[in-house]
Amino acid sequence: MNDYIPIAALNQYDYCPHRCWRMFCAGEFLDNQYTLEGTHLHERVHTVGDGYREEVWQVRAVWLKSERYGLIGKADLIEAHDGCWYPVEYKRSAKGEFDNDALQVCAQALCLEEMTGQPITQGFVYYAQSHQRQAIALNDELRQAAIATLAAVKTLLETGQMPPAIYSPRCRGCSLRQQCLPQAAPKVDRYQETH
Amino acid sequence: MGTVYITQDDAFIGKTDERLQVKAQKKTLLDVPMLKVEGVVVLGRATISPAALTELLERKIPLSFLTGTGRYLGRLEPPLTKNIFVRSAQWQAAGDSDKAIHVVRSFIRGKLKNYRSMFLRAQRENAALNLQAAITRLEQAIAPINATDTIDSLRGLEGAGSAAYFGGFDALIRADGFRFESRRRRPPTDPVNALLSFGYALLLHDIQSAVNIVGFDPYLGYLHTQRYGRPSLALDLMEEFRPLVVDAVVLATLNRRSLTLSDFTTEALSQAVSLSDEGRRTFLRLYEQKKQSKFKHPVLGTQCTYQEAFEIQARLLAKYLMGETQQYPPLVLK
Ligand code: SF4
Repeated sequence: MNDYIPIAALNQYDYCPHRCWRMFCAGEFLDNQYTLEGTHLHERVHTVGDGYREEVWQVRAVWLKSERYGLIGKADLIEAHDGCWYPVEYKRSAKGEFDNDALQVCAQALCLEEMTGQPITQGFVYYAQSHQRQAIALNDELRQAAIATLAAVKTLLETGQMPPAIYSPRCRGCSLRQQCLPQAAPKVDRYQETH
Repeated sequence: MGTVYITQDDAFIGKTDERLQVKAQKKTLLDVPMLKVEGVVVLGRATISPAALTELLERKIPLSFLTGTGRYLGRLEPPLTKNIFVRSAQWQAAGDSDKAIHVVRSFIRGKLKNYRSMFLRAQRENAALNLQAAITRLEQAIAPINATDTIDSLRGLEGAGSAAYFGGFDALIRADGFRFESRRRRPPTDPVNALLSFGYALLLHDIQSAVNIVGFDPYLGYLHTQRYGRPSLALDLMEEFRPLVVDAVVLATLNRRSLTLSDFTTEALSQAVSLSDEGRRTFLRLYEQKKQSKFKHPVLGTQCTYQEAFEIQARLLAKYLMGETQQYPPLVLK
């Protein structure tokens, strides 16, 4: 197992630790989602033209990495206005009930701070379905939450120990539900076979 | 759509855009979106284009090869999932462990209870039938299962129960000209045995797919132990489904006169009996219909098809082996 924690795992862990285990320990996700080649920040940052939009520099699909936090991942979009960098995360859906996208943006910002040497004060989540762009303040509270989740994910990836599947409203929107059968365990335990 | 069966000898399986196409003698026999294909089974000879092959692998659609009579030859398997935890739990339970004994009990209990249900139902539907002796023998095999502690003795109970069942099976056939004396395989030498063997081969393809999707090693079984090249775990999990799916389809096919004696031919030398092309297509259609029929899963309490139940049972087995549940409940239907 590589030593870096995929940023996407934080988001998944926050949604459901069991889901995170299935995806990142048991490998039950489509590979291509995470193995797609991205651009390295330094390769694209200085290319003028294709990303220039109203005083905003944009670079898409950027690989991010932090040695300090042992994080690796990809940002959909990095923007710069007035010399400040902002990560922007794209979500195909509308804003969900569960607010774990902020964590992901925060983790991206931690990488970006290390890579650029500049403090980052905010990021954005863009919800494609509703065309909404939501600003996320990268305050201490969020940073602490991201770092705590990071530690939990690190333990999970190192031990491979499966967190239990616990049925909750989140299961309804979970793409792994068919594999996970979150309601099965209590039902099996209660089940009495006929004579 | 489910499983695509290719029965036409010398068919050509190709891919155009996102569609699977089967052609023979310049005619298109089948043209379906890849999205709808869950498995491909070739019976007899067929050619498959490299593009179609790659597409099947990428979409993780298994491709099995059977002879025209349904003997299993092999399959092209998409890669196992990376779920090493399932395989490791499966291996840890190997041999005579408590977990192995528990699941072997479940497989056998499931099968024998489903056998018994078939007999009880047949008897309810036809008062003239007297299956009581066989039912009693089945019950005598079922009763000691949970108190039996070795896999060998459990195999003995399975043998006794199966003998009782196949001893009474002939009474369930109400179509003139069809008789069942005893289970004969390799080769089946009468139409009923030919249908059973054919059906079990199809079922094995389906269960093997389920076992593979969940991430098991198909060659490590508990009731069926590792013997050279046998998909033992799939054979284990198949037990509870044999009566529910295959035997039920065979009986329905015969009793509703969907096939007649003229659909079968006997090979002169080996006495092997096989189905005509037309008969095979009929049976495949009925088998597929059965797999897509719905029922209420007794444990989960939700509706599912048999096709889905194959995977559900494999997942329940994984949950038990990984310690998520206290038991493996076989699929037992009334
Ligand atoms: S179905 Fe529920 S418990 Fe299972 S992985 Fe998804 S969210 Fe977690």
